[in-house]
Amino acid sequence: MDQHLISWIVFLPLIAGLVALFVPRELVKWVALLGSGATFLLSLFAISTFWGGDASGVFGDAYGTLHHVERASWITGKSFTIEYFVGLDGLSLPLFVLTTFVSLLACLASFNFDSWKINKGIKAYFFLFLMLETGMLGVFVSLDFFLFYVFWEVMLLPMYFLIGVWGGARREYAAIKFFIFTLAGSVFMLVGLVAMFFYSGNAVAEYPELATSYQTGAPLVTGTFDLIELSTNDAIQKYFSDSATTLLGLRFAPMMFIFLFIGFAIKLPCFPVHTWLPDAHVEAPTPVSMILAGVLLKMGGYGFLRLCYPIFPTGGHFWASTLAVIAVISILYGALCAMAQTDFKKLVAYSSISHMGYVLLGICVMTKTGFQGAMFQMIAHGVSSPMCFFLVGVIYDRAHHREINRFGGLWLSMPRYGSMATLGFFASLGLPGLCGFIGEVYVLLGVFEAGNSGPMFPWAYTAAICAAFGVVLTAGYVLWLIQRVYLGEVREEYKGFPEATGREMLILAPLGALCIIFGVLPKQTVFDFMNGTLNLIVDQINGVTQMALAAAGG
Amino acid sequence: MSGLIAQISTWSPTVAEFLTFSPELAWAGTLCLVMLAPLAIGRNSRTTAGLALVGLAVTAFFTVRVMGMTAADGPKTGLTPDLIGGMLIADNLSLFFKLILLIFLVGVTILWMSVSADEEEDAPEFFVLLVGSALGMALMVSTHNLLMMVVAIEFASLPSYAIVGFNKKNREAAEASLKYMIFGAISASVMLYGLSLVYGFFGTFDLAQISANVGPVLMAGGANRLLVALGLFCVFVGIAFKISAVPFHFWCPDAFQGAKTEVTTWLSVASKAAGLLLLMRIVNLFAQNAGPAAMGGVAVVIAIIAAVTCTVGNLSAYRQRSVKRMLAYSSIAHAGYMLAAAAIFVKAEFVDSFSAMSAVLAYVVVYMLMNLGAFGVVALLESKNGGDDSIGAFSGLIRRAPLLAVPMLCCLVSLVGIPPFAGFMTKWYLLNALGEANQGLYWALVVVIVFNTLISLWYYMRVVVQMFLRDDDQPAFAIPISGALLVNVCGLMLIVLMIFSNPLKSHSDQYASDLFMPTASELAKARAVDSTDDPAELGELAEPGELAAREDSRNLRGDHGG
Repeated sequence: MDQHLISWIVFLPLIAGLVALFVPRELVKWVALLGSGATFLLSLFAISTFWGGDASGVFGDAYGTLHHVERASWITGKSFTIEYFVGLDGLSLPLFVLTTFVSLLACLASFNFDSWKINKGIKAYFFLFLMLETGMLGVFVSLDFFLFYVFWEVMLLPMYFLIGVWGGARREYAAIKFFIFTLAGSVFMLVGLVAMFFYSGNAVAEYPELATSYQTGAPLVTGTFDLIELSTNDAIQKYFSDSATTLLGLRFAPMMFIFLFIGFAIKLPCFPVHTWLPDAHVEAPTPVSMILAGVLLKMGGYGFLRLCYPIFPTGGHFWASTLAVIAVISILYGALCAMAQTDFKKLVAYSSISHMGYVLLGICVMTKTGFQGAMFQMIAHGVSSPMCFFLVGVIYDRAHHREINRFGGLWLSMPRYGSMATLGFFASLGLPGLCGFIGEVYVLLGVFEAGNSGPMFPWAYTAAICAAFGVVLTAGYVLWLIQRVYLGEVREEYKGFPEATGREMLILAPLGALCIIFGVLPKQTVFDFMNGTLNLIVDQINGVTQMALAAAGG
Repeated sequence: MSGLIAQISTWSPTVAEFLTFSPELAWAGTLCLVMLAPLAIGRNSRTTAGLALVGLAVTAFFTVRVMGMTAADGPKTGLTPDLIGGMLIADNLSLFFKLILLIFLVGVTILWMSVSADEEEDAPEFFVLLVGSALGMALMVSTHNLLMMVVAIEFASLPSYAIVGFNKKNREAAEASLKYMIFGAISASVMLYGLSLVYGFFGTFDLAQISANVGPVLMAGGANRLLVALGLFCVFVGIAFKISAVPFHFWCPDAFQGAKTEVTTWLSVASKAAGLLLLMRIVNLFAQNAGPAAMGGVAVVIAIIAAVTCTVGNLSAYRQRSVKRMLAYSSIAHAGYMLAAAAIFVKAEFVDSFSAMSAVLAYVVVYMLMNLGAFGVVALLESKNGGDDSIGAFSGLIRRAPLLAVPMLCCLVSLVGIPPFAGFMTKWYLLNALGEANQGLYWALVVVIVFNTLISLWYYMRVVVQMFLRDDDQPAFAIPISGALLVNVCGLMLIVLMIFSNPLKSHSDQYASDLFMPTASELAKARAVDSTDDPAELGELAEPGELAAREDSRNLRGDHGG
């Protein structure tokens, strides 16, 4: 069991989902809870090997430290080998555990399924829900690009049906929009998948003397899907970053970077390709919104950190200013849109876009602080946004509408719920002492650091100042929201609302606790587990960038 | 050629030769059985289908047996005295295709039994036509002789025209049949014209010999080049019609919509796959023997046709209201994907064409499952709602018949090419083959195919939306067990072949590498014989050293077939 720990965690939800299809209707949700609960507990076991940091490498000089590695060949063709290669490092561990955690709470949030407007097909619902969890976990543990892509796509169908069948009034539109946007990103990624494989083959043929594999110590002879190999192999890095390497007449690294970037940016989502998100959130049922905001959006950021930057650092340099502009627009535009919303859920959805803008901003300057801030921002948002969406869901179950202006004084009629809501929204706002603060500060520090470090990022100060202004906007819409919904006189129609139930508190309390713990002890709870890996990635990136710049200059 | 005719009087096939072609003989026997048995036992639909299944099982048995034979057990080509340019070839490619065809035929028969058997009056005739067209398709893939090729294509086509219009009382079926036949007749005559040009120039029907001599002619230019190129292009047109490559595709949607759905299922896979594998065999032969220099332009032509075919197919599918017609356009698009692989052959190194052939074989297997499942669901639905195949007929299918909706979902998503279904895997093999060729032309094809995936999503999802997201309270219905089993097995196999894709890949690899190719020394011998009694001007022949080098490269890759 121990050497297959990751596989068990990844596929346990799917097994539970299959079991759920064949048990009596009343037992389905308990099977699902058991499945996702067991998955969560097992994922806590996975943490244990990370005590004391994550940087003492199993694979020596390869970036990060891989724990719980499983490696087997899956499909062997004449010219390619696709591996089942999974493992955890500091980059994936926090998101991996976050996924099992949020899934468990979302499963619990689905327990009032019978009282939903559309309450048919409970078996299918939980089957798809658990299949989605398997897909998400698979994405975070895959270290083989092909496997990564398969898991990435496996998430599509369950999500489509979860929104499309059990969603709100415009569910059909929202679901197909989600599907088409995501698949549009995936096809770019698929071109990248094919191109990267064969160009890595070209690379090891071009520079056989540099092609020493991190894994075997012997030179590589064929192309590879291994993500670690792609980012650390000297031959591949030299060939990819060479400006003479072209595909269809375009420079390879910037082109591939942007192909992968489009796929991840749609998922993140950032400014021009974000429009599916508010639709999907508004129509999705509450637990699906929690998953969507808590986990799915993180895949975009994870993809940047796992694929785009380590494999194409020069591409990252090439596009840095463009990405910073996109990030700043996402932050400000998302916040302004959130301010203009009258639909409670849409407001939270736009706030997600704004928060994810910080992730992109932190990443695009390629400093250690920026990377750490982006990662932390993802974890923090992964805790606070499911909480916010659940808070919206709780009130929607009672009032059956989400019009912000029709609410008022809810704190007085539901004091426990009101306190939780304030905590959740303040965490999202970025109040010092709560989780949202740390990530934003680190990102801004990282951007300033990039501005200080030399002439590479002349726009860094401007970007940081604009992004900092986003914090003000965030405070504006969150405070205004709290004022309109929770403060003021109790309205007649909401007087009799029952207090948050035990189940609801069971979901809110852990999320609220984490908001505080992450805010107070960021180092012990998050940074210690991931900084080693992130720093190694940044060093690796800088090394390749210097090499490429020297080659271009000389 | 005159030498060949002289041999015929003294030639008779040996037992070994007959054994090698026992599948064809059993197949023909099945044909006779289905035709004659009703005279003795009456015209019962189910008995006829049962007899056909027994015959097909026997054929499959022989096919598997021959697949296990090595070169020592029997000749790879034969049923003529000319062992080099034999009329028929029994390499593993053709045997594998025969096996796929037989499995598919069994699937179509089961489908027919569950939707049409009860009202069909002319079952024996139907099966004669169906099994006959199948035999024609099997022969198409088993030859590189131009004459045999034309006979096989006609053998496959004529019964196809008839079964498309088999539903005599239906005007649409008659119209479809007529359209199909007119297009078919024209393309057949074009092909025959081209054949006459090629034969007139080279004095032989054997494509191996033609391809060995065609290089210098094409390189030299002038009137000869025009003549030969025109002739070969006309032959290509005839095959492109079978594949329904754009712009030779106009018959396809009409014929597919008008025909009974079982027939559509059959034609959408079998006829296209047969045409495609025939084309690949020929292009491969030409690329190997004539050399890449002479064939460079061909790659561009095929690549453009492939790109246009898949794009036109997908875009045309958008606005269709009939699911059958939509799937017909989808089959055009898929033919385009597979055709892209043929462009790879023309690139120099043999290893590339090997991957391409393997990719197409795997694609055909999975494509068969997807189409059998999808059309099967349409057929089962039609049999319950009076023949309505419009998109609206699928509304609320998950409630009305979950055992149809779920496999339909699997098949449609697999047709798009999204994991966890095997359609994604085979699309990857195709992209892998293109990427392996590693040139601008092929990278452009990768981009075209990948973006076509995105285009195709929308129209496949229209059906999914109707099945799962909408419901206009049409009544639920029960479906026959055999039909339900068939489509669900197809759906399940798509998932199984995704997860356990390795056997599919390794088998495709193996059969793709066991192509029968006459070796350079055999060809040289054949040319020596031909040039003594054939005064035709052949132009400069390829250098012996070059031929030997090609032979070496084939030996290097471990060719255990030839």
